[in-house]
Amino acid sequence: MALLEIKNLHAEIEGKEILKGINLTVNAGEVHAIMGPNGSGKSTLCHVLGGREGYEVTQGTITFDGHDLLEMETEERAIAGMLLGFQHPVEIPGVKNIYLLKEALNAKREAQGLDEVDTFTFMKQVRELVASMDMDDAFLHRGVNAGFSGGEKKRNEILQMLLLEPKLALLDETDSGLDIDALKVVSEGINRMRGEERGIILVTHYQRLLNYVEPDFVHVLYKGKIIKSGDKTLAHRLEAEGYQEILEEAS
Amino acid sequence: MSRQGLPEWLSTALPDHAAAPEALAQSARQQVETMGLPGLRDEEWRWTNLRPIHRGNFKTAPGQTAPSVTEAQPAEALPLDNPVRLRFIDGMLQGIPDDLPSGLHLVSLSDADEATRTAAFSPTPAPSADDPNDALVTLNTAMAREGVVIDVDASSVIERPIVIEWLDGATDGAMSHPRVLIRLGQSAQASVIEQSESVGDQPSWRNSVIVSKIAANAALTHIALGLTGPARLSTERCFASLERDARYHSYNMQLGGQVIRREYDIQIDGTGAHSDLIGLMMPRGKQLMDTHTRIVHAAADTTSNEHYRTIADESGRGVFKGRILVERDSQRIQAFQSSNNLLLSDTAEIDAKPELEIYADDVQCSHGATIGRLDEEALFYLRSRGLAAAEARGLLIAGFAQEVIDEIPDETLRYWLTERVQAQLGQHPDVAEA
Ligand SMILES: Nc1ncnc2c1ncn2[C@@H]1O[C@H](COP(=O)(O)OP(=O)(O)OP(=O)(O)O)[C@@H](O)[C@H]1O
Ligand SMILES: [Mg+2]
Repeated sequence: MALLEIKNLHAEIEGKEILKGINLTVNAGEVHAIMGPNGSGKSTLCHVLGGREGYEVTQGTITFDGHDLLEMETEERAIAGMLLGFQHPVEIPGVKNIYLLKEALNAKREAQGLDEVDTFTFMKQVRELVASMDMDDAFLHRGVNAGFSGGEKKRNEILQMLLLEPKLALLDETDSGLDIDALKVVSEGINRMRGEERGIILVTHYQRLLNYVEPDFVHVLYKGKIIKSGDKTLAHRLEAEGYQEILEEAS
Repeated sequence: MSRQGLPEWLSTALPDHAAAPEALAQSARQQVETMGLPGLRDEEWRWTNLRPIHRGNFKTAPGQTAPSVTEAQPAEALPLDNPVRLRFIDGMLQGIPDDLPSGLHLVSLSDADEATRTAAFSPTPAPSADDPNDALVTLNTAMAREGVVIDVDASSVIERPIVIEWLDGATDGAMSHPRVLIRLGQSAQASVIEQSESVGDQPSWRNSVIVSKIAANAALTHIALGLTGPARLSTERCFASLERDARYHSYNMQLGGQVIRREYDIQIDGTGAHSDLIGLMMPRGKQLMDTHTRIVHAAADTTSNEHYRTIADESGRGVFKGRILVERDSQRIQAFQSSNNLLLSDTAEIDAKPELEIYADDVQCSHGATIGRLDEEALFYLRSRGLAAAEARGLLIAGFAQEVIDEIPDETLRYWLTERVQAQLGQHPDVAEA
């Protein structure tokens, strides 16, 4: 059974159709990259998968790990093992990063019938992850993403992913705005998540991320549809030729 | 348009003798009889309907109260280390503690000498005796029978917090008009915490005035905690005058009460002086919480920092008006003001108005007022991490309040307030659902 199966997905925002019939299957163990010009609907797809209000699915089905995803609330999706890494992580001053991490972990543990994590184990684990992301402990005690630089926000998204160990990580342009060192740290984080039981979807504009995290499949999203799919060489082609040729081929 | 004068129940309550020096009290009586209470037509009262007071038919609490009343206790225990406690029950001071730290002197207003009482009734900046906007101060002058004078000697640092417990409504329908004078000598330091609660469930009204005079290089921390009291009406006015390098740090946390109006008048008279005005108001149900602040930068090289937040839920109403006046020769001023407001329901209402009057040219001044709803994107973000909708909502609201609470210097009190606010939010129907 596929981990994620999207069939003929149509979705609109404020009455305007943005996704126009998307089909995509992601199996456990696979890494998929989704590329495509600005405004083609990549983030919209992520938000629809996350269950954001205001994104209305008008046709199609989404199955996630055996569940009818469209019947689930945003938090139920998260607890079932989906993690959405935001293109623009939201700043929430006043809510401490460490508090969010703990609540998020406990929400998941509760659903699994586990006790709340004990503070000592939790702090130890979090500190190790923070170090592995080349972040400072001070970030834990700041408001969620509050005043973080673009790159720090993205590291924070990966930190959350590493702690929550989702079945499916959906990373929307996690590589944008990263310097070379940060890109490496983030890529290492993603590679650590890579595994037989997990699926990863990377939304990206750049080959450079895919040099570190080699995808099994690459898809081109254009005007709300996947117009071409291939292996990692497709990304190389896009990098070399731009979108024009591929768009022409597809039409 | 003629003014109505005082409601009869209030007019007949005007005493023949008050704590103020007789000449002051007498002219205040005459002024207030003709002016009456402030009303919606008065500029500073446009958003503050005092009808519950007009119609309140309050009575001055008897001087000798029954033992059951004098045993009233605050319901909420503040986590304070060995505080100096001044308990007022319906405005009547329940004695002065005797083990005072050195450098601190307390005397009840009625026992104070004439010069001290004159000082208590002569705040800076001076309110105007015939301006209806100031009518409640004038009323206080006419009616104050009791209060306390807090004196701190020069160079004394009083570590123990001085707590004024305002326990209102021990007698049904009681009103009180207490007056407090706080004087800090040169380089002195003290913190005063006002804890306001009602001990009954019948309406009560307190019309208090606090006059602070802060000498050169002294620092006063002034915290107000407005706590329980479903029928508590309170009109509170604080004056503070600052000499050279003096500091006034005020924190105004309003979490309960029916109608709470608090005003700050800050006169920054000395070079290098600084004032902080920090506040949080959380009206819900039919509560009205209103803060008006006025800061006068009357000396060069002075600074002020103001940060207010209101969270209005259900049919709660919040009002914030902040005026900053920079006088002509007051150069090199920094004055910052922000007022951020959160509306949680369609029937809640918030009015926020900054008012800047700047007559000097070398001034850094900023102000910003925002009124918004909960950030949908932030809500989505938290939920996408597995937090239930109600929890995410509660967390965002608490987080909004936290940014003000975090400004409180005392860690223990800060922690107590954090939990207190979270508990209050937990009672919110939407949050409790979780
Ligand atoms: N709230 C909204 N209201 C109306 N249109 C919207 C809204 N959000 C997105 N859109 C539109 O949907 C389309 C797809 O946007 P989306 O953010 O999904 O693109 P994207 O592929 O992620 O682009 P980018 O590469 O720039 O991140 C765009 O035309 C955008 O303007
Ligand atoms: Mg996007």
